[in-house]
Amino acid sequence: MFNLNPQTLKKIRRFRQIKRGYYSFIGICILLFAVMIGELWINSRALIVSYEGQLYFPTYADYHPGTDFGLDYNYETNYRDLQAMFEQEGSDNWVLMPLVPYNAFENHTSIGIYKPEAPDFKLRHFLGTDTTSRDILARLVYGTRIALLFAIAFMLAVYLIGISIGCAMGYFGGTFDLVFQRLIEIWSNIPFLYMVIIVFSVIPSIFSIPVRIGILLTVMVLFSWTGMTYYMRTETYKEKARDYTAAAKVIGASNTRIIFRHILPNVISTLVTFMPFTIVSAISSITALDFLGFGLPAPTPSLGELLKQGTANLRTAEWIVTSAFITLVLLLTLVTFIGEAVRESFDPKQYTVYK
Amino acid sequence: MSVLTEVHMNILNRSTLILLACLSLLLNACGGSDSEEQVGTVETIDNTQEVQDYYASKPGFFKFKSLADLPVDLTWQDGSHLPEIGSDRAVKGGTEYSRLQDFPRTLRIVGPDSNGSFRQFILDYTTLQLGHRHPDEFEYYPALAESWAVDKENKTVYVKLDPYARWSDGESITADDYVFMFFFFQSSYIVAPWYNNWYGTQYTNITRYNDHTISISIPDAKPDMDARVLELRPMPQHFYSELGDDFVERYQWKFQPTTAAYVVKQEDIKKGQSITLTRQKDWWAKDKKFWRYRYNMDRLHLSVIRDTPKVFESFKRGDIDQFGLNLAEYWYDKLPNDDSDVASGYIHKSVYYNQHPRPTYGLWINSSKPLLDDNNIRIGINHATNWQLVIDKFFRGDYARMQTSSDGYGEFSHPTLKSHEYSIDRAQEYFAKAGFTDRGPDGILVNSEGQRLGFTLSTGYESLKDVLTILKEEASKAGIEFRIEVLDGTAGWKKVQEKQHDIHLAAFNVSLEMYPRFWETYHSDNAYDDAFLDDGSVNADRQLKTQTNNLETLAIAEMDKMIEAYRASDDKQEMKDLAFKMTEMHHEFGSFVPGFYQPFYRIGHWRWIRYPENFNLKHSRTAGEYYVHWIDPQIKEETLSAMKDDITFAPEINIYDQHK
Repeated sequence: MFNLNPQTLKKIRRFRQIKRGYYSFIGICILLFAVMIGELWINSRALIVSYEGQLYFPTYADYHPGTDFGLDYNYETNYRDLQAMFEQEGSDNWVLMPLVPYNAFENHTSIGIYKPEAPDFKLRHFLGTDTTSRDILARLVYGTRIALLFAIAFMLAVYLIGISIGCAMGYFGGTFDLVFQRLIEIWSNIPFLYMVIIVFSVIPSIFSIPVRIGILLTVMVLFSWTGMTYYMRTETYKEKARDYTAAAKVIGASNTRIIFRHILPNVISTLVTFMPFTIVSAISSITALDFLGFGLPAPTPSLGELLKQGTANLRTAEWIVTSAFITLVLLLTLVTFIGEAVRESFDPKQYTVYK
Repeated sequence: MSVLTEVHMNILNRSTLILLACLSLLLNACGGSDSEEQVGTVETIDNTQEVQDYYASKPGFFKFKSLADLPVDLTWQDGSHLPEIGSDRAVKGGTEYSRLQDFPRTLRIVGPDSNGSFRQFILDYTTLQLGHRHPDEFEYYPALAESWAVDKENKTVYVKLDPYARWSDGESITADDYVFMFFFFQSSYIVAPWYNNWYGTQYTNITRYNDHTISISIPDAKPDMDARVLELRPMPQHFYSELGDDFVERYQWKFQPTTAAYVVKQEDIKKGQSITLTRQKDWWAKDKKFWRYRYNMDRLHLSVIRDTPKVFESFKRGDIDQFGLNLAEYWYDKLPNDDSDVASGYIHKSVYYNQHPRPTYGLWINSSKPLLDDNNIRIGINHATNWQLVIDKFFRGDYARMQTSSDGYGEFSHPTLKSHEYSIDRAQEYFAKAGFTDRGPDGILVNSEGQRLGFTLSTGYESLKDVLTILKEEASKAGIEFRIEVLDGTAGWKKVQEKQHDIHLAAFNVSLEMYPRFWETYHSDNAYDDAFLDDGSVNADRQLKTQTNNLETLAIAEMDKMIEAYRASDDKQEMKDLAFKMTEMHHEFGSFVPGFYQPFYRIGHWRWIRYPENFNLKHSRTAGEYYVHWIDPQIKEETLSAMKDDITFAPEINIYDQHK
């Protein structure tokens, strides 16, 4: 989108020099990659099934009814049982299960009733199970994935709206700026959390879960985009008065071109420094909403829901709150470190002390 | 909390702040002048004339006669043969500490916001009716009435009032308070349509013979017509002399003089925090049979604690005296038998198997929705719902499967009918009959038009959301998809009242009655406006009726006829036959998937809370409903000092299964 000019290259070099931020960045990339391919290592579906000489790869495929593998039912095959059965039979058929052979929704109990069970490496419940015997690691990983994707989507949407309106206000100025600024002041004084709770609780659920998550995202974005406009407005005001803008105007460039090709690249540094912090607050918000029970619709795995279960079972199942808490702290710390490093590397004052 | 708050706080510009400051000043100013104005100009109302005029405008309903007009051949009964309630070992005194989930929004017992969890303390479980059903024997014992007589032919119940009955402010309770009760509940001032409807249509007459004799008539004779009259509670006319358009505000925080043992004093209302009830030392019924061993604590202190886990911690600290252990996770995991307080005998655990009509937990299927209007689909859903797994694993086998929508009514409950069992094969058979034979790429059935077999499964019970998840996973094996929607209580209830749901998990709370009600839930009057044409065929233009309890939008002409016969009947055998037939028809219609019921209640209580020998009463719904427990101050002292000195007692985990 933007050509890497020497300035930018210098900034990237500086970012790499700030080790804490740089390693956090690598860490979060690995984490993101790991959760994106979650199905390959945490899944109730097998990686490979070899049945009567034929190989099956069920992970990303359509469902295989039990009848595909000689079982007597036509709903989704239980691959763990299938594996146990093949091993018992001693036939040439075999099943390769992922590292954690559970998905985030199934109730798997080893004691016949649904209650939290402590971590058990033999059963491959590495972080134990929650109150309805669902694997905590699975719920954590898929919950983190949703939270991260949600935060990124949230950031993009907020920035898109914030930048467009902010730039327009700064660029056109005058009455447009005056009116919009007042509107934004009013809008931004509506309490965000209450509005999300109210709006989301009246939305009917004829929609599927991804759609409902999309609606939640939209509602959150609607009440959060205003903050960004303040910065963009002032920055644009500043850049607009410069000679290169006037030059572009004289040549006959359109307003859109001037804003997005000339002004925006010059204010991008302000934007970039905010991004990680927006992600942090988006993750905190979605977790808080889930904790209060107004976030992602059940049974979507989520950090907030795990935290809630954990605090309700502090005495009896401390492993729930421990895993959720550590994950959340880790995630937010990493992103914050990146944010600080980005801010530092974009700082025009070269020799300040990094605190 | 805005998502961007942290970053952007610093630039919240000054004009906004000034604007905000001005606004809040403005608001404050308004508030101030408003309340001053109110204090200055609250007008006094005297509605005596209005009440008299109202009586005069309905001469058929309100009649004033003399004792000479009272029929002479009546058979009076007074329930005196029934056994005492409670234990003669009970001692009076002490303060019981309990929890309120939310601070009451009003002290009114009727009108907006009055039907909250606090109402049981100032109305349901504490105040007196004319008579009450004996919780062991099912017959009526007297409270405000001294004796009563039922005249079936004239659909009238005659009542002699107890002349010694007093309101808590010392005024005596007379026939006028019962006549006024009808004015009160029929009045639109109270903003309570249910009461307006019930007191306006379910009674046809009240006659005052003298200060302590009345008769009340109802439209249809019923086997339990005494219940209709004896369960009435008078309203204090002298207190409501200011009843008017501003009833809701005027009486918001006024405590109505009560017939109960406990009163609320103004100084005991700590708004938002706690509220305390005090026992009247000279309560008029304190030495009367059926009442003398009950309501034993001097004070009931109720403090607001919202979170259940926090309540449990308070209980373990001894700040709260009793804690309900109905949930398996509390009974088995959080307060197990080897918990140190239980093993040392400081906290007792008790299970009591009761007999009570069961709340109707189950899936209510809206049969007016597309696909769900197909009988095969509904029966298929019945077979695809694995309640047994929920009961065995989630409720740990403590609960039992509900068989019909009217379980727990003794001889009025169907004796043999069983709910549809979970069976993937049978569910698929029924779905196939409805045209759903092939499975899509995700294993959910589709029909030839490409429609997916998927429905929204909603609930207003946050605590049961995991149950829905289990049902969803199990149902997907039969090829049907449940999309789960967990709403908060009010939103969930609104959804079903608007008939917007596909399938909803809910329960109606049922009171202790002789026989189940069918009209509310299964009559077509509550499903559609003009459901059927005069010739009995379905009206094609019928409109859904909202705000009724017919959550299944069930409309069967034949069912209507039976319900009408059932409502009009005063023959027990005929009613039983009809009830069974209707239950069977409902079963075949398949619009309700019976869920579970809890055949007991169980609680944990500190050692100083004592219960009678048999613990409680057969038809009790909760341990506290009849207030038969008491606090033994000596034991409390003994226990507290024993806990300091590490002295232990024999643990007590008691199971009372005499009514199992």
